[in-house]
Amino acid sequence: MAERVGVSEGDPDGAEPPRVSAAMSMSDPAVMGQNAMVATPAQAEAPELEAEPITEGLAEAPSQRVTRVRDRTLAGDRWIARVLRVGAVLSGGMFVLSLGLEALPGTETTHVAIDQLRKAAASLLLVTPVARLGVAGTLLGLRGEWRYAVIAAGVLGLLALAVGAGIQA
Amino acid sequence: MVVGGLAGALGAMLGIGGGIVLVPALVLGFGLPLEEAVPASLMCVVANSCAAAAGYVDNHLSDIRLGLTLELATVLGAIAGGLVAALIAPAMVAVVFGLFTLFVALQMILLRSPRREPATLDDYQPTNYPLGISGSFVAGGLSALLGVGGGPLKVPLMSYGMRVPFKVASATSNLMIGVTGAASVAAYALRGHLKLALVSPLVVGVLAGAYVGSRLMPKVPTAVLKKLFALVLLSVAGQMLWKGGAGLWPSVWE
Repeated sequence: MAERVGVSEGDPDGAEPPRVSAAMSMSDPAVMGQNAMVATPAQAEAPELEAEPITEGLAEAPSQRVTRVRDRTLAGDRWIARVLRVGAVLSGGMFVLSLGLEALPGTETTHVAIDQLRKAAASLLLVTPVARLGVAGTLLGLRGEWRYAVIAAGVLGLLALAVGAGIQA
Repeated sequence: MVVGGLAGALGAMLGIGGGIVLVPALVLGFGLPLEEAVPASLMCVVANSCAAAAGYVDNHLSDIRLGLTLELATVLGAIAGGLVAALIAPAMVAVVFGLFTLFVALQMILLRSPRREPATLDDYQPTNYPLGISGSFVAGGLSALLGVGGGPLKVPLMSYGMRVPFKVASATSNLMIGVTGAASVAAYALRGHLKLALVSPLVVGVLAGAYVGSRLMPKVPTAVLKKLFALVLLSVAGQMLWKGGAGLWPSVWE
């Protein structure tokens, strides 16, 4: 913005202006003010218009909507991350526990417990990415992004078909 | 557990799952038969995907919408690959895939990318969806035909073909491989090929490695990740060319 405004165009001495980046101009109020005061030729030629009265509620509505959409997106991402993390931690914990039980004296009960723990851990681990897909599809559907919800449902359906048919997807 | 940790860290950082490290390590290092090593490795890919993707989704590195779209094409490709497996000589496919990965790896090592990565990872828009979708379909088909994960194909596809930042491509690939890996493991488990006693220490190591790798990846420079990825691709190419050339595939993977 600062470069396009071109301070030199408004500089009567024609001196080379300091190069100002957009980031600097936004962060430095002095520079921003300087840029705001300089009119481009297009602005200078434009007819003056009466300033429109600013209605606060209406002016803030788009930014509020953007913020609300972003917050919902972030909350959705957190849910997906939570599903993945819980699945990984729980199944990892069960695998660690089964390894710990292996160190104990080998009785029938211990062997059964190890076997059950490992089966449960493996099942949980396999279900986790599928649950993630389901959660992602549901959240996107709730946000009105039906295309992605349908895609997620399609992927789940195809995976079920592939596993049922014994095809390695 | 150590091998699992290394595979987990590498897989999480590059979005490839870690099977490329695990299968040779289990077969050559521990003398396990391939029919036991492959499902164990796939289980580790699922573990890796869950642990690493949790962090990446939390940090908004994974592109969930892009992942879903490409996932659909991958699964369709995998089903198509499974259906035509009997009609195609897998050794020939392995050779073609090996040559392709060799080409991509050499290009990544020898040529400097003309494209600059965006300054922030939010500042991008995936382009060329037809290429991405058709490439994912091919990746899914290769996954079913050769037993390789889609990561080594999908990361360059997203990064170079769809102009997605390399780190986002890697994180999105990590998210995607879990679902297809879980379906593959389920198919192996139904046939009784999954050995849980072998899987347990590997998964524990992979989960720890993936956690570390997912923490490291955002801090590692993209250029270093690309070089590492190119080395992994070279390894994939070597394995594919060797297996394809020897004509081993039908007897080993069936």
